[in-house]
Amino acid sequence: MKKNCIAMLLAGGQGSRLYALTQNVAKPSVPFGGKYRIIDFPLSNCANSGIDTVGVLTQYRPLQLNSYIGSGQPWDLDVNDGGVYILPPYQTSGEKGSWFSGTANAIYQNIGFIENYDPENVLILSGDHIYKMDYADMLREHMEHDAAATISVLQVSMEEATRFGIMNVGEDGYINEFEEKPKQPKSDLASMGIYIFNWKKLREYLIADENDPNSSKDFGKNIIPSMLANGEKLWPYHFQGYWRDVGTITSLWDANMDMLSPTLINLYDPDWPISARSPICPPHQVGTHAEVIHSIVTEGCEIDGHVENSVLSPSVRIDVGAKVLYSVLMPGAVVEPGAVVEYAIIGENTVVHAGAHIGAAPDGSEDWGVATCGPDIEIRAGAKVAAGAMIFTGEEV
Amino acid sequence: MKDFHGLIFAYYTDPNLRELVSVRTAASLPFCGRYRLIDFSLSAMRNAGIVDVGVIMQRDYQSLLDHLGGGKAWDMNRRVGGLRMLPPFGLPEYHRGNYAGTMEALNAVSSYVKDINAKYIVLMLGDMCANIDLSVPMEQHRRSGAEITAICTDHNADGFRMTYLRGEDGFVENMLIDTVNDKAGVVSLEAYIINKDVLLAMMEESREQGLYRFHKDAIAQWLKEGGRMDVYVHHGYAALIRTVDSYYKANMDMLDPAIRHEVFPAARPVFTKVREEVSTYYGVGAFSRNSLVADNCIIEGSIENCIIFSGARIAPGAQLKNCIVMRGCTVGEHSSLEHVIVDKDCTFSPGTVLTASEKLPMVVPKGTNI
Repeated sequence: MKKNCIAMLLAGGQGSRLYALTQNVAKPSVPFGGKYRIIDFPLSNCANSGIDTVGVLTQYRPLQLNSYIGSGQPWDLDVNDGGVYILPPYQTSGEKGSWFSGTANAIYQNIGFIENYDPENVLILSGDHIYKMDYADMLREHMEHDAAATISVLQVSMEEATRFGIMNVGEDGYINEFEEKPKQPKSDLASMGIYIFNWKKLREYLIADENDPNSSKDFGKNIIPSMLANGEKLWPYHFQGYWRDVGTITSLWDANMDMLSPTLINLYDPDWPISARSPICPPHQVGTHAEVIHSIVTEGCEIDGHVENSVLSPSVRIDVGAKVLYSVLMPGAVVEPGAVVEYAIIGENTVVHAGAHIGAAPDGSEDWGVATCGPDIEIRAGAKVAAGAMIFTGEEV
Repeated sequence: MKDFHGLIFAYYTDPNLRELVSVRTAASLPFCGRYRLIDFSLSAMRNAGIVDVGVIMQRDYQSLLDHLGGGKAWDMNRRVGGLRMLPPFGLPEYHRGNYAGTMEALNAVSSYVKDINAKYIVLMLGDMCANIDLSVPMEQHRRSGAEITAICTDHNADGFRMTYLRGEDGFVENMLIDTVNDKAGVVSLEAYIINKDVLLAMMEESREQGLYRFHKDAIAQWLKEGGRMDVYVHHGYAALIRTVDSYYKANMDMLDPAIRHEVFPAARPVFTKVREEVSTYYGVGAFSRNSLVADNCIIEGSIENCIIFSGARIAPGAQLKNCIVMRGCTVGEHSSLEHVIVDKDCTFSPGTVLTASEKLPMVVPKGTNI
């Protein structure tokens, strides 16, 4: 089965900077934006771009991710000559099994899978970005410019540029230099961690990199620099639109709040649907005391309290007299009567008992932050959780 | 071999549903924000482990076919068995007119019924709203030695019209036709578990005699001949949707959290065709009270006591009270709708005012632009 392009989605990261939210699940399966999990964005982008073969590389806490992806049916990726495949690390004969030691190593270990499809090109994606992107357009540019690799880049401010991998572009439009987190950036084009490689080329570089004991087996640190050093043609694909890395609590909360502004990212576009595996719940109910303002709410929710500037996932319950402001509530979270949740992220099935108070409005102080409760926690009645606090599953509060 | 097979009657559409059924059968009436009526019987079967199900339909079934698809939503897309659509086939006379009754509908698909490879058949209506736990009467039927187990309710459920009187042993002694009396007996929900050989014999007899009504002819005759009918009592909510009023009332009943939790319990979900859709957005000036709202709506106006299906756009200043708004409708700025059932894909330009009453809700037909 020959494919022009297949996708490999790196979903094995622990997401350690999400702390309590990734205590038991991998980052790509963290709920996002009401109906979604983070991985829905790259998976839907693939389906919408006509890429019907996706390998999902898992490593850290993959159980929930595996059952979430299942046959790939919600994204129309359950097709006969392709589909979505979960690719965990595995043992080979005569060797000890080994974990993926880097992004490049993860792909190296799955060369066999990729060869099954004999692809011309391989699209490398990560499972922790929120964006809508037509990979088919990127692939077109990649082929037009006969590139060994095409790297999707986003224009950022010069201050931000110091936090990204920055691509410097020559007069011919090709990339001539790559700098990881430069102190003095020469350009404002940041790599989005989305690559299309010519598969024959990438295969050579993966094998060479694997045999280099000094390599950290990473695309950004090793593969791209050695391609540049060998004078390969690297093309920048200029992406315009909404793109957020949601690797930290603050960025996850910010990006959720962005979902309240359809001008930033339009999820109501029927031509580019972001799909999710949905639970089947009745429509949400607003009760006789409810007030819901500037918020998104979805199936199974039952609201009888006050909700403002918030993102509610399926089956969230907000009781009478409760207040939820500027917060993200993950599936099944409950806020009991009189409780207040503000500037907070509440994990799946966590119950905020009556009268408890989570988080606080920004007060200008430096240690202010979004309060976070992991999943399956009972916050006892009347408890107070300070701004910026991080409550892990199993903790007593 | 599986013991149970399901048959759902989706051929009958009551003309008292008026404009609501000009574009669909009663079984595919949109309900409670995201469902279709047939979801209740399909889900009851699925939740009891019955995935071999035939749906008997006769006419205007395009919207029903579209909803059922391959049966995936109910896990009935099986390699062997699974969901089967049964439009009329075989005898040409069944293509004309309406089936004279359930027994004629069964005879119209008799080759399918004969080929059923199960001992018991579960019969249900496609146009009722109830969440029946079939697993209990199925087990009861297996043990009781009854040839038919009637699924009934102990209260006067809206729309149903047969009452069974029971003897000391709990088996049915008599049937009150077109009489609902929950003091004297139990009211039939017109759902039955029946031995396949008994059903085939009834079908044969009805064909010979040309008497096709299920209760008045077949069951009455069979009881007279000493048939053993057991009863299972469903205590929860039930409504048969045969008029615009009952459609309106049953939808509004779902606003009561106690009823809704009973009809949509977590343990026995009601499955339906899943549309991949985005959350509903409430705008800065939105006001919403006592309403059920599906996904993919943008609500910037005011809604009170409403059932809103997906895709609604309620503009700022618009006011909806006691309305049912089906999928894909737009209500313009400062419009006002009260006691209106809005069918799919309607658009109300700014300033539209429509007021009806609870006694006589107004139906705005599919695709209307005002």
